Amino acid sequence: MIAFKLALRNLWKNRRRSLATLIAIALGFAAINLFAGYIHNSYNGLRLGSIYGEGLGHLTIARKGFFEQGSLKPEQFLFSETELARLTQVLGAEAGVQVVSPRLSASGLVSNGKLSTIFIAEGEDPALANRIWRRGMGRPKLDPAQPGAGLVSRVLAERLGVKAGGNLVTLSNTLEGQINALDLDVLRVWDTGTAATNDKSLRLPLSYVQKLLDTRGASRVVVLLDEDADADAARAVLAPRLAAAGFEVDIKTWVELSNYYRQVKRLFDLIFAFLFVIVFVVVLMSIINTLSMSVMERVREIGTLRALGMQRWAVVRIFAAEGSLLGLLGSLGGVVLTLLVKLLITLGHVSYTPPSSSSPVPLSISVLPSMLGVTLLVLCLVATLAACWPARRAAHIEIVDALGHV
Amino acid sequence: MALIELQDVRKTYRLGSTDVPALRGVSLAIGRGEFTALWGPSGSGKSSLLNLIGLVDRPSAGRVRIDGRDTGGLGDAARARLRNRAIGFVFQGFNLIAVLSALENVMLPLIIRGESHSRAHLLASQRLAEVGLADFARHRPDQLSGGQRQRVAIARALVTDPLLVVADEPTANLDARTGQQVIELMQALNRSHGVTFLFSTHDPRLATYMQRVIRLADGALHDAPDGIPLPQGVAA
Ligand SMILES: Nc1ncnc2c1ncn2[C@@H]1O[C@H](COP(=O)(O)OP(=O)(O)O)[C@@H](O)[C@H]1O
Ligand SMILES: [Mg+2]
Repeated sequence: MIAFKLALRNLWKNRRRSLATLIAIALGFAAINLFAGYIHNSYNGLRLGSIYGEGLGHLTIARKGFFEQGSLKPEQFLFSETELARLTQVLGAEAGVQVVSPRLSASGLVSNGKLSTIFIAEGEDPALANRIWRRGMGRPKLDPAQPGAGLVSRVLAERLGVKAGGNLVTLSNTLEGQINALDLDVLRVWDTGTAATNDKSLRLPLSYVQKLLDTRGASRVVVLLDEDADADAARAVLAPRLAAAGFEVDIKTWVELSNYYRQVKRLFDLIFAFLFVIVFVVVLMSIINTLSMSVMERVREIGTLRALGMQRWAVVRIFAAEGSLLGLLGSLGGVVLTLLVKLLITLGHVSYTPPSSSSPVPLSISVLPSMLGVTLLVLCLVATLAACWPARRAAHIEIVDALGHV
Repeated sequence: MALIELQDVRKTYRLGSTDVPALRGVSLAIGRGEFTALWGPSGSGKSSLLNLIGLVDRPSAGRVRIDGRDTGGLGDAARARLRNRAIGFVFQGFNLIAVLSALENVMLPLIIRGESHSRAHLLASQRLAEVGLADFARHRPDQLSGGQRQRVAIARALVTDPLLVVADEPTANLDARTGQQVIELMQALNRSHGVTFLFSTHDPRLATYMQRVIRLADGALHDAPDGIPLPQGVAA
């Protein structure tokens, strides 16, 4: 207790210096937590965008080997109609499974009568697909009542000169290898969000694609779970169930299928680690600096305490206490600062334009209690350990030298 | 048995590449309850000797016995414990802890020892009252005069009931009258409680208070009457 009493009073005595250190710690603390809050929200937005906006659901199930070779030999990896029914039945019986939606992709040529160009199409059951949907996620619905109508990506529509209500013809090889053509009504034009797909994507009813490829099967089954479900955990549960039911499948999570999410997350995680290291070093250096000054000023006091019988470790404890108090108070200041900035951002309706977007969105930052707690613990620990270095020096000053010191 | 016993104690400081001999073979004994002055000019080795007796420094050669126990083999932690239990310190510069009140300063040796706060508070209050500073318990050192600070230091030195109080030039930073009062206080405590005091000085005005004088010159004892002149009124 004497250690904390001495530490607290000396911090107060040198309050100007202490304040400078506390501000450095608080700023670092707030930077970490505000950035963590920002990327947390970004991750969440990207997650919902992948699951609902891209329609990846939480899990995608396909026959073993499909994810490696499925595009070369699609016919070898199809689930038959009866298999799909059984998959739907087995998966539907699991707790937490919301939607089980078969998918089938196709590619070929799409024509307006004069002009033809290539397309990549994703076929899904309109009624099921519409249940994997979120407002504002840029994924328009299909119409279950119009099995011959599909969505055309914006650049493709412009190239073919069609609008909603227009007509096109799709041309593809059936799985057997015969040429097949079908009329397509343009239900809506939509933006895929990426230039790479905006000039060739179609979203079609599953039955349409099945007719085009002349099959009753599907290549994949997308599973939507409860919104916040852990996809990895769900996979661990579902994989043995499907194996037991006789299916040899590979299961991928939405994270594994979303390159964009993984790239953004890798970048943000790197920036966060970098920021954390900087704050770590700043706190370390400012504590060492402050405590070294403190030790130098108090050499005679240290000599006196040692003469009065204080052990070396108890001297270390005095300065370690000073370090941990700086860490604690600085972190508490950081909590206040974090909440304050968050409040200002909320009240000020601050918006910005993220790299992936063309229009400004509100800057949203969540303050994460767990992150606050972890940062507080880490910074207190850093501060205490940083203090131990000058403190050890203090403890090893010879008493006689210290007493002679003016 | 003598409380303090020194046998041929030597102390040599290294200053760069040269050896500075500060004590050149000192042997002496101090008994319980004595009130002893260490007398000698500046540089004669008084501080060096008191540091060895106070166990804050180790001799280059020779033995320092406290209460019959040789301190040569004691490790750092054991010496700290022994200092805390057996020795009180009064410094020339008072050496009070600036951020602690008078009372907290007096409590300090007991807190270091691990005494409970309430017991330390009680004993320290008593000591502070004995040196006449009961009303100044809550004052910080910088709110006290030099004489008051030294009285706080004396209370702090006595609070553990030590075998010996070591005081290195306790009056050097005080004016003559205050210095006298501080020595008088030490003398009174010596008489009333039987506390053993060993203090160094080169102030001749304190001659009248010296019960026993150990004369030191150039790192050696001078018991010969034709050694350094004693202050007037002191019998050799
Ligand atoms: N730490 C030290 N390093 C080198 N020489 C020292 C040191 N302390 C004391 N001395 C020398 O030892 C001698 C005795 O010093 P000291 O014990 O302080 O005498 P006094 O207290 O009587 O003035 C002096 O010559 C002094 O210069
Ligand atoms: Mg001296």
